[in-house]
Amino acid sequence: MTDRETFLNYLAEKSGRPRHQLKDHPLKPVNDLPETTMSGHSQDELLEIARKNAPAVHVDFQTTDKAGLPAALDKFIAAKADGKLLLPTDDESYSAFGLTGWRDGLDPKPSFWVPGAGRKANIDTANHSEAAIGFADMLCAESCTITAPTTPGQGRAFHFLPVHYLSVICKSRIVARTRQAMDYYEPRIKSGEIKTSNLNFITGTSSTGDIEMVLVVGVHGPLDMTYLVVEDM
Amino acid sequence: MKVVIFSTCLVDLIFPNVGKAMVEVLERFGCETYMPMQQICCGQITFNSGYVKESTKVMHNEIDALMSVDADYIVGPAGSCVNMLKELQFHLPKGDDEYKAKAHEMASKTYEFSQFLYRVLGVLDAGAELDAVATYHRSCHMTRLLGERESPYILMDHVKGLTVKQLPHIENCCGFGGMFSMKVPSVSQEMVNEKVSDVESTGAEVLISCDPGCLMNIGGRFNRLGKKITIMHLAEVLNSNVDMSRVKYVTAEDRKAIDQAALEKSNAHEEALV
Amino acid sequence: MSTTQMDDTMFRRTGQKTGTMLQYGDPNFVNRVHQSTADKFAHGAISSAQDAQWVKRETARAELGNWEGWRDLSEQIRQHCVRYLPDYLEEFSDNVEKRGGHVFFAQTDVEARDFITDLVKKKQAHKIVKPKSMVTSEIGLDKALLKIDGVKVTETDLAEFILELDDWDEPSHLVFPALHKNRDQVQKLFAKLGYTGDNDPQHEARFSRKVLRERFLEADMSITGCNFAVADQGMVNIVTNEGNADLSMAIAPTQVVVMGMERIVPTLREAETMDNMLVRSAVGTKLTSYCSFVSPKLPDEADGPEDFYVVIVDNGRSNALGTEFEPILQCIRCASCLNVCPIYRNIGGKGYGSVYPGPIGAVLSPLLQGDYGDFHDLPYACSLCSACTATCPVKIPLHELILKHREVMMNDKHMGDLISDTVMKVVGMGTGHSSLFRTALTFDHVAMNAIAKKGVKDPETGTRVPDTAKNLDENGKHEEWMPFVFGGWTKVRDLPEPPAHSKNFRTWFNKRKKSQIAEAGGEDAFRKTQADILAKNPNAPKAFGTYDNSVSARKVGREQTTPLSDATVPTALGSIEEAGVGDYADRAKGNADNGKKD
Repeated sequence: MTDRETFLNYLAEKSGRPRHQLKDHPLKPVNDLPETTMSGHSQDELLEIARKNAPAVHVDFQTTDKAGLPAALDKFIAAKADGKLLLPTDDESYSAFGLTGWRDGLDPKPSFWVPGAGRKANIDTANHSEAAIGFADMLCAESCTITAPTTPGQGRAFHFLPVHYLSVICKSRIVARTRQAMDYYEPRIKSGEIKTSNLNFITGTSSTGDIEMVLVVGVHGPLDMTYLVVEDM
Repeated sequence: MKVVIFSTCLVDLIFPNVGKAMVEVLERFGCETYMPMQQICCGQITFNSGYVKESTKVMHNEIDALMSVDADYIVGPAGSCVNMLKELQFHLPKGDDEYKAKAHEMASKTYEFSQFLYRVLGVLDAGAELDAVATYHRSCHMTRLLGERESPYILMDHVKGLTVKQLPHIENCCGFGGMFSMKVPSVSQEMVNEKVSDVESTGAEVLISCDPGCLMNIGGRFNRLGKKITIMHLAEVLNSNVDMSRVKYVTAEDRKAIDQAALEKSNAHEEALV
Repeated sequence: MSTTQMDDTMFRRTGQKTGTMLQYGDPNFVNRVHQSTADKFAHGAISSAQDAQWVKRETARAELGNWEGWRDLSEQIRQHCVRYLPDYLEEFSDNVEKRGGHVFFAQTDVEARDFITDLVKKKQAHKIVKPKSMVTSEIGLDKALLKIDGVKVTETDLAEFILELDDWDEPSHLVFPALHKNRDQVQKLFAKLGYTGDNDPQHEARFSRKVLRERFLEADMSITGCNFAVADQGMVNIVTNEGNADLSMAIAPTQVVVMGMERIVPTLREAETMDNMLVRSAVGTKLTSYCSFVSPKLPDEADGPEDFYVVIVDNGRSNALGTEFEPILQCIRCASCLNVCPIYRNIGGKGYGSVYPGPIGAVLSPLLQGDYGDFHDLPYACSLCSACTATCPVKIPLHELILKHREVMMNDKHMGDLISDTVMKVVGMGTGHSSLFRTALTFDHVAMNAIAKKGVKDPETGTRVPDTAKNLDENGKHEEWMPFVFGGWTKVRDLPEPPAHSKNFRTWFNKRKKSQIAEAGGEDAFRKTQADILAKNPNAPKAFGTYDNSVSARKVGREQTTPLSDATVPTALGSIEEAGVGDYADRAKGNADNGKKD
C-alpha cells in the first residue's frame, strides 16, 4: 500500500495547492437552507406532517397516550409476534414510558437483545423473532424517519432481522427534518455524551425496484413497519 | 430601432424562408433591419467537434461582422446559435482580450427571435392566423443554455386558429446535436425516430420550433420515412395571414402571470409537474 | 486551476497504470451500440425508467423547495471537499484509527485489489457479502476474490445478485444495475437456486430474501462501498433501500470499506445535506429506507464489525486535480445524469463499455485511465443537449467537460483522423473567411444539384412520390447521399437541397432593401416609416427593461421547480409503480390542465 504521506503529498502537488490550509479556510455555507427549511412548526404540526408522510414510506402510523401505550403494544404483539417477540434491554426507556410493569408481565415471555451476551447469541435471537419493538430517539417529520444509535441493549441487527417492527417515539422528540436530528447528534457524539459506533436513520420499510422497477415492499429488513407516537410525552 | 440580423449558416444555406419570415415580422413591428454580409457562422460546427483552435478565426469573423453596424440589437432565428453567440466571450482563447470585450458587448444586445419579439418589443399577439393543429419542439440549447422557455409558447398561444398539442418527451433531444448526427448516426437515428413517433402521437400536422437545425433533422427523418408533416419555424407561423388589427402588446402588470403560465407549459414534462 | 489537459502524471510518476479494469464488452463502440439497440426489452426498460424517474425525481426536488439554492450549497460543499482533499483525508483517517479502524491508501486499482485479496487470505475469510458498490467494480474486485480458493462471494443487492447468478453479467445502470433483465429472466436465474414460483417480482424478491438471509448469517466478512466518509467522526455513511448493507455490516465480524478518495464530507451535517440531495436525485424519494453512519463496534456492543478497514482509492482520480476537469470529483454517483441522457436512453449502460456509463462515465472513464485508449468514442457519444448539466445536484458542468475532452483529443493529442481533420479544417476556413463563404453561396451547388433527389420513395411501392415533409426544401429536392462525415446525416435522414443563389436569403434581403428604400423615397424616409410604426408600440422603444439578458442570469441548470399542488403529490414514497409510464402521460396532462386553471 502507498504510505499516507506519499499519497496525500501527491494530491497536494498535483492540485497545486499546499496541504494544511483548511484551518484558515473552513466551510462557510453559502446559505442556511438546512436550518430554515421547514422551520417554525409546532409539535402538533410536526406530528400531522409525519402522519401525512407515513403512507408514502409504507408506515402504519399510530398515536396513543402514555396510559394507552401498553394496550397499543399488546395489540401489535397479538397481531404480529406469534409468540416470538424481541425487546431491547433499556431500563431507562421502559421506565420513562411507564412500561416496566408491562414488560415484566408479558406472557409469553419475550426475548431480549442482551448486553454482554455476544454477537452470535443476539443475532440468533433476533433472527428467530417474528416481531420487534424498539425505542427511537427521534422522528423526522419531513421524511418520516426514525433515528436510533446503536446501544449495548439495542444492537444494529435488532432493527433488521425481525419480520415485523414497531418503533415507540415521544411526540416531544419529533423534529422537522433529518438536519435537526444531526444537529442533536453531532455535538453529543463528538463530546462522548452519546457513546455509539453506529447511527441508524430508518425510513419505513425496506423496499426494492430492482426487478423491472416494480416496487416490492419488504426485502431484507422488516416486511412492515409501525410507528407508535406517544402524544403526552 | 436598428436590428442586425444574425442570419445563421443554416438560413443562408438551407432555409431562406425562415430568414425572410423573421425579417418581415421584425419590420412589421418597426425594426430597421441590417444584414452584414461578412457574417457566416457562430462557430459551433468546429468548436463543438473539439477543433477549438480552428474556431478562433470563425468567431473573430462573426464578431466583426455583427458588430460592424452600430445597432441596438442583434436578433437571430436559432436558439442554439444565439446562445453560442452569447457564449463566444468565454470560448475565445486566453489573452484574446480585445475580442472578448467585443464579444461581451455583443452578447448584451443579442436575442433569439421569439425572445426579442416578446421580451423587447413586448408583442403578445403578432396578428398571425394559422388554421392548424401543431406541436412544438422545445430545443435543448434554447431552453437549457439560453434559458428561454416562455416566449415561444406565449406567441403561439395568440395565433388565431392554431391549436398547439403538448409534445410527449418534450425534454429529450431530437438527435441533431450538430456533428453528433453525422458522427454517431446509429444513435441519432434512434433519437429522431422516437421524436418522430412522439410528434405523430399528438396528431399534429405542423411541427414548430425555434431552431432550424432541429427542424431539418426531424423533418428530414419524416421525409426519409415517407411520413407526412409540415415543418415551420415560429417566424413563419407568426408571418402567416397577418392582420395588424389583431396585434396586442403585453403590459408590465400582466407579464408575470403570462410568463408563469407559459413556463408551466414549457416545463410540463421536464419539471414534471408544475 | 486553469489548464485544459488530460494528464497521466500518476502513470509517469509511479510507472503504474490506472483505471485498467473499467472497460468491458466489445471494444468497438459501433458494435456495442448495435448490440444495445437490438435488445428491445432493455431499450424499452431504460426509456420507461427514465420517464418514471423524471416524474419522481422532479417531484421530490420540488417538495424540498428552493432546489437551486440547495444545488448551490451542495456544489459548494463538494468543491470545498475536493479543494482541501488531503487535509480532510488526513483528518478522516486519524479519526477512523481513533475508533479502532485501519486505513489504507491505494494509488491504483491493482494496489487496492491486491491489498483486499491479501487481507481475505490473511483473515481466512470464506464467506464474503457485498452490498452494491461502484468502486469495487472499478477495481475488478469480484473477479479477483473468486480466484481465491474456498472463497464464496455474494452480491447482496437484489439487482447485483441477479447479475451474479447470470455468470456475473455487467450492470447497465449505476442505481438500477439489472434494468436490462426482465422478470422471466429473473425467474429462470432463480430456478438455479431452487426457485419454483412464478415471475411475479414480489415473489421473486421474497425468494431472494430467504436465500440471502442465509448468506448474511454465515458471512465472515463484508466488503462495502461508501457514500460519504465523515471526516471529523471517522464514520462511513451508507444508504440503501433493501437493508442488505446494514445486515452485511451488522453480522460479519470484519468489514472492508472501499472508497473513492473524493467521497469525503467534513461533518455529519454535510453528510445529511448530501444524503438528501443524493436520494432525491437518484431514486426520487426523500431518503432511502436505511441511511447509516458506521464505524468499528464498541466493546460493549454486540454486533457490527470488530475489524474495520478502509481502503482509500485514487486510481486516476488525481488526474483531474488541478485541471479543468476537477469538477468531476464533485460527483456523488446519483446517476441522475444517466436518467436524463438521451444517448443513455438508447444505448444503455453497455453501450458505453465502461463501469461508469452515461455522461458521468463519458467524462470520468478517460480521466481514470489517463488516456483515451478504450474510451475515445465516449466524448463524442453526446449531442450536447446539456440535460445532464441541468439535472446535476452538485452542478458539475458535464456537457462542458465532454466538450473539453473533445478539445484535448483534437487540438492537443491530434487524434482526429486525416479526413476528419481536413474536413473540419476546410469547414473552419470556409466559416472563418467571409469571402470564401460568400463565393460558396453563389456557386448554386452544382455538385449537390447533380445528386439531388426529387420526392421520396414510397415504402410500399418503391416508386417516388412528392416529399412528405412540407416546407423542408426550397425546390422539392433533397440529398440522400453525402461524402465524408456528412454521410452520417444522409444515412438517417434527407438533407434539403440548398436554394439556388437567386433564391437564397441574402439575395432576397438585398433586393427587398433596395425596393423598400426606393418606395419610401430614400433611406431616411424609410427609417422614418419604421420609426412611426415603432412609436405605436406602447412598450417602445426599449420595452420592459426588467428582463436580464446576461448570460449568467439564464445559464444552464436554471431548471425551475415550482411547488406542487396537492393533486400532484404522489401518495407513495418509493412509488415506482405508481409513477409508471402510463401514469406519466396522464400526470403531465393533469399538470398542464392545473396550470391553465391557475
